[in-house]
Amino acid sequence: MNGKKSTTIRSSGALKGVRVVDLTRVWAGPLGTRILGDFGAEVIKVSDPRLPADRMGGLYGKLNRNKSSLGLRLDTEVGRRIFLELVTISDVVIENFRPRVMPNLNLTYDEIMKANPSIVMCAMPGYGAEGPYAEFPAFGSTAEAASGVVSMLGYTTDRPIQTGMSYADPVSGLNSVGVVLTYLRRSRATGKGQYIDLALADSPVCMIGEYLVANSAISYLPTERGNEHPDHAPHGVNRADGDDNWVAISVTTNDEWQALCSVIGGDRLSDSRFSTQDGRKRFEEDIDAVISDWAKSRDTVSIMTQLQEAGVRAGRVSNNQELLNDPHLAANDFFADIDEGENGLKRYDGQSIRGNILDKSEWKAGPILGQDSKHVLVNLLGYSEADCAALAIDGTSVFNDESSTQS
Amino acid sequence: MPNPTKNRERQADDLPLSGLEVVEVAQGVAGPFCGRLLAALGANVIKVERPPKGDWSRKIAPFLSDDNHPESSALYLYNNTGKKSVLIDWETESGIDTLTSLVSKADVLIEDWDVNYRESAGLSTEKFNSENPGLVEICVTPFGLSGPYARWKSTPIVQLALGGYLSIMGYPSKEPLMLPGHQPDYLAGLNAHNAVQMALFERDIDGLGQFVEVTMLETLANLHQIALEMDGAVRVRNGHRQSSLSRRGFPPGVSTLPADDGYVTFGGGSVAIWEQLCLMLGRRDLSENLDLDNLDEIAELRCEVDEIMTEWMKGRTREEVFLDASRNWMLPVAPIMELHEVLADPQFNQRGLFQDIHHPVAGTAKYPTLPFVTSDPLQEFKRAPLLGEHTEEILGR
Repeated sequence: MNGKKSTTIRSSGALKGVRVVDLTRVWAGPLGTRILGDFGAEVIKVSDPRLPADRMGGLYGKLNRNKSSLGLRLDTEVGRRIFLELVTISDVVIENFRPRVMPNLNLTYDEIMKANPSIVMCAMPGYGAEGPYAEFPAFGSTAEAASGVVSMLGYTTDRPIQTGMSYADPVSGLNSVGVVLTYLRRSRATGKGQYIDLALADSPVCMIGEYLVANSAISYLPTERGNEHPDHAPHGVNRADGDDNWVAISVTTNDEWQALCSVIGGDRLSDSRFSTQDGRKRFEEDIDAVISDWAKSRDTVSIMTQLQEAGVRAGRVSNNQELLNDPHLAANDFFADIDEGENGLKRYDGQSIRGNILDKSEWKAGPILGQDSKHVLVNLLGYSEADCAALAIDGTSVFNDESSTQS
Repeated sequence: MPNPTKNRERQADDLPLSGLEVVEVAQGVAGPFCGRLLAALGANVIKVERPPKGDWSRKIAPFLSDDNHPESSALYLYNNTGKKSVLIDWETESGIDTLTSLVSKADVLIEDWDVNYRESAGLSTEKFNSENPGLVEICVTPFGLSGPYARWKSTPIVQLALGGYLSIMGYPSKEPLMLPGHQPDYLAGLNAHNAVQMALFERDIDGLGQFVEVTMLETLANLHQIALEMDGAVRVRNGHRQSSLSRRGFPPGVSTLPADDGYVTFGGGSVAIWEQLCLMLGRRDLSENLDLDNLDEIAELRCEVDEIMTEWMKGRTREEVFLDASRNWMLPVAPIMELHEVLADPQFNQRGLFQDIHHPVAGTAKYPTLPFVTSDPLQEFKRAPLLGEHTEEILGR
């Protein structure tokens, strides 16, 4: 079992043959459609042709890999008609505008369903399609605040701290995939479409369910802050050798405690006050002082490895660069190196669901706006080259594929 | 448009996953959270628990009853809504036979057996699939079954450390901070749900199931794009100011600042938002002649505006700031909500995000349901099962 990946791999891309019309921007939506693309779905990102075209690398590139780009104005009658034609030959539409945007374009679910009754449409607004905050703008960074997650995060109870990663975005992006696929399977089986209203702010709420359940029933409020655990000790991070290097250590049983003592050695931990979990929790600060003394001159990788090999839960605090070079992730072939054209080869995070992904040799960098307009209009929708020229001239679309730039 | 008030009235046989048979032996949060989603979408989820105590999450505080009754752990109650509980000791010979027979009729098996456990119990990755070729087996573990960390142990803080999340949370002058609760497990649970749907989609085509691994570490690494895109630079933690947006070409980003009764988060990251914010503060001058490539100047400007905003919020509550800035200035702003405020929030409640569920031991509590509403309404959520409540019904004894 060791050294070999156990996941069954029988094809490249479970979602080949699925076409997704992607109107999403920023993070949550593009993450969801990126996952669909990683599994071989044909994700057509529809963007306003007036946006700048030079956006292949960076965060945009990371979130839009394995997608095509169609430049199309939705606010003109011609553009809207083309959009609905694309809907007719697609399986999924995903958007994360504010709720009024699609109705303003006369592209409500009813209109979209008229074009294709089997379509699965997923809207991902900040607070949901209806309700008192429906039209309020929201980002992952503000939705996490509204969700209650941030109220439990901080060094002290009186000063909450943000996650620093717009937590609502990744959570909402992950949520979109499962529910879209659920209804897509059903649509394939029955021909029946579905409208899904997935709110950015609701997603993180469901990640702290136990606290909300307890708060509603017994007014429970977690009092521990920082890296404290309600029962376990030691539990936290310790500074290691170097500028800003830390190792997380968590002891959850007496056996693990004994293992920690044997690794650290000396007699400062063989104190009868520390022999039970309650005692360790009570004298946690004294224990932390001993661990800190031991850790401060050691390097993070050797601390973590030594402790884990002895059976203690430990992990170094990896920064983004260390994460990109993590030996375990590399050994599992997690990363993907993708050619970003003029930016060269760039390392990407891979796909954490092992199995059924599009073969990484077929992965491509985020598209330049309009690079696939011609393909979509001519090959998928049957427009002529002359039609495309007219659509370029009136600004309905934009063409940035190689053949267009040459002409 | 879905109408949440008419939502969740449907019969169980008319749901998208009606007829899907799921066996869940995974414990704790990751696997069970995945099973909870499948149950909510209509699957029949049989949760297999080992006697005598069952799932370890039953022992985790907070408890809803005064005597810390294992049937009243909020973590268990939340993650196991809508399931049936069957007691099987799969570490005995007859127990593994019973489990095998149960799984032989299932569509999906959710398990969390790591490499150490598999070896000691003799559980190969082919065991169930060879007898039931249509079976989708999802294996959710911290590190997966291969690679240098495969035999290591984990907890949320260890996972968040290795997964790069800790390094970006907290103040630069202090230790890195973890996310509350069991976030790596919940994230892996969402990912496991996606893996199930992906494998079922494939099975619909060729009738074959498969063994699919989902790991917490890869899940975290997958969601860390903001840090990963920095092209060689190390991303630092930056307290109540999110540092990811302090980049060349971007105006000042996110800050969390005090109002009269708590804190408010201001989102940012575009020139339009920055101009709008300055307009709201009556300081249009601060958005003129911005040099977005001068990071020092941007950082200084941000501190200055944070001070102005703090002053501006004096005498205002979070709600006043939120409603004014959102409604009148279209700014992405939100109060940092306490748990009881989340539960009472008019927006969440209009969407039917919470549902009262009664449990014979734990009593009645408000449970988050699903973060989405659908045009075909789903069913009401049902309470988590008592330990072994359905053993007789399912095993006939």
